[in-house]
Amino acid sequence: MAASTTDMAASASAPVVHTDTSAKCFIVGAICYMVVAGMFALVIASKFVWPEFLGSVQYFTYGRMRPVHVNGVLFGWLLAADMGLAFFLVPRLCGVKLWSEKLGVATWFLWNVIILSAVVTLLGGYQKGLEYADLPTWVSVLVVIAWVMFGINIFGTIATRKYQQMYVSTWYIMGTILWTAFVYLTGNFATLLPGVTGVNQANLTWMYTHNAVGLIFTPIGLAIAYYFIPRSSNSPLYSHKLSMIGFWSLAFVYVWTGAHHMIHGPISQWLQTISIVFSVMLLIPVWAVVYNFIATMKGEWHQLSDNVSLKFLMSGTIFYLLTCFQGPMQSLRSVNAITSKTDWIPGHAHMAVLGAFSFFAMAGVYHVIPRVFKTSLHSDAVANWSFWLFLIGGLSMFTALWLGGFWQGLLWNNPSIPFIDTVVWLRPVWIVRLLSGVLVFSGMVLFLYNILATVVGAKRHAAAQA
Amino acid sequence: MLGKTDSNATWFIVAALGLFFIGGLLTTVAPPLLDKSWNTAFVNHDPSKGMTGELKPYTEQENRGYAIYIREGCKYCHTQQVRTLEADTVRSGWKGVKAPVSTPDEFVNDWRQTFGTKRTGPDLARVGGKYNKQWHKAHFNNPRDLVPGSIMPPFPWIANNPQELDDLVAYLQTRGRAKDWRPDGDYEK
Ligand code: HEC
Repeated sequence: MAASTTDMAASASAPVVHTDTSAKCFIVGAICYMVVAGMFALVIASKFVWPEFLGSVQYFTYGRMRPVHVNGVLFGWLLAADMGLAFFLVPRLCGVKLWSEKLGVATWFLWNVIILSAVVTLLGGYQKGLEYADLPTWVSVLVVIAWVMFGINIFGTIATRKYQQMYVSTWYIMGTILWTAFVYLTGNFATLLPGVTGVNQANLTWMYTHNAVGLIFTPIGLAIAYYFIPRSSNSPLYSHKLSMIGFWSLAFVYVWTGAHHMIHGPISQWLQTISIVFSVMLLIPVWAVVYNFIATMKGEWHQLSDNVSLKFLMSGTIFYLLTCFQGPMQSLRSVNAITSKTDWIPGHAHMAVLGAFSFFAMAGVYHVIPRVFKTSLHSDAVANWSFWLFLIGGLSMFTALWLGGFWQGLLWNNPSIPFIDTVVWLRPVWIVRLLSGVLVFSGMVLFLYNILATVVGAKRHAAAQA
Repeated sequence: MLGKTDSNATWFIVAALGLFFIGGLLTTVAPPLLDKSWNTAFVNHDPSKGMTGELKPYTEQENRGYAIYIREGCKYCHTQQVRTLEADTVRSGWKGVKAPVSTPDEFVNDWRQTFGTKRTGPDLARVGGKYNKQWHKAHFNNPRDLVPGSIMPPFPWIANNPQELDDLVAYLQTRGRAKDWRPDGDYEK
């Protein structure tokens, strides 16, 4: 019953010819935005070390650049890359062409309008004022339109599928499209309804912010990992049943946990307790997924040394496990009293978005780009370099922020220490964070270079043959 | 039942949304109906019932200052919540008096919640009345002039704009003032 992706794709590749225009546009565009978002990251990390840096120009103040970095990474890079990969893998899993390449390309044009408007409005000071939902309302409306276009295209493809049974990646992508619609509407529009203020608004914001990671980036990231781990290692998925347990427990459990972002805060105690109980239950879907991935690799680990996609996939899996172990721990009241609001938090967030989900997406990109451009990767060596830069830079950033943040939390809990001392003492941590950021950014530049060189090389090759 | 979702997309959609909406509705729509303090402004004039005070609506000027706070993304470095932690009440306290813990009824006029996620700077939930306008002006102009080692950004375009400075300071002076927590009304203007 557990049809592996390998069989499905093999029987599919014979009759159907994929043009993949939408996938190409989204993926290459996303990588460019990743580098731009990375530049913003370096500037804001520098501001922690030199607070005057670009300080007197209002458009480049910290509080306006940070949301550009966050939204740039989330929407410009990660979601766009994930959408591009979905445009690649859904048609293959369904054994048919994408429902409409024209609609896909139109979605991509709209996406660029969104990203450019986001940069201009956020720097201009028109942020909505809700974390992750920072974009002004009219830009959020464009996001909704783009998402509906994306949804129609994917569901249209699924409706015309040749294989009755749907592979787990297909479920995750369908789940992402459905949940995102409601999660996004809650965070960006329900929060603005008349009479929604204060704690009520915060609770709705957290429903969105938390599930932006849990019900958007998690399921689409897992869809990618579920597709590419068996594909890259040429081994069938370990267990279909386990993937079902993981999926349906995620669908049920995740949405309950938003209030764990306000533990000890001014929000009803019983709601805090519910969020903690469900946070601990999150260990179920996480364990089911990670066990499935690791078991699929059984006997195949030697492949890691010469397969850059697998390197990204497996380190992404480990980061996913660690993030999802941290999450429930942080929600426990005793741990939360130390880690909450400290630099631990960006450490945790970066491990999820960069370490886990961006690694999955990059694995997908390295696999997909040579195939859709019908060529080979420009350089395996450069790909390896980019991997090690991401891994070492990422690890040192996460570790510096966890250790520094935990220490900071202990210091804050001793109120006889003046606050400003804790700022001054954290400086070395922020310097390490900046240097790690430089490593990660170099990885991004190599990644972009390698992909662009592959694309240009493929074009040249085609031109020479014509 | 979930077995069917494997090959039937309609079943899948029903199940995926159904499971999601149980938690989705119970954690978003239900709480404000169950906990009235989320939507009822704090007011108490009877000292025997605990701390006195009243949450007042924002004036036009305070609202303009509020918008500046949002525009500059101050909330990315400052939280506004005295949590149920001893250290929080001491850190936000004044001259040995502990600050009261933040409660939902103090925030019902907040059209953009500013609870925040990260404390790069101190919590501002009880900063109302801590400093006078002169202090804020100098601080916005260059925080390091007043607090060496600070990494708060300078905001010269606010400090040198009398209207914006007045507005933002007016907003800051409202923070935490619904509760009359300082003895003898000892607040800076
Ligand atoms: C990059 C982070 C950062 C940003 C952005 C930021 N601050 Fe600060 N803020 C700090 C730090 C660090 C301190 C502590 C040192 C000091 O007093 O300068 C501080 C202190 C303060 C204080 C004094 C608090 C006290 O109890 O002594 C006030 C008031 C304040 N900030 C208001 C603001 C406002 C208003 C904004 C937005 C216009 C803002 N801050 C933006 C980091 C930041």
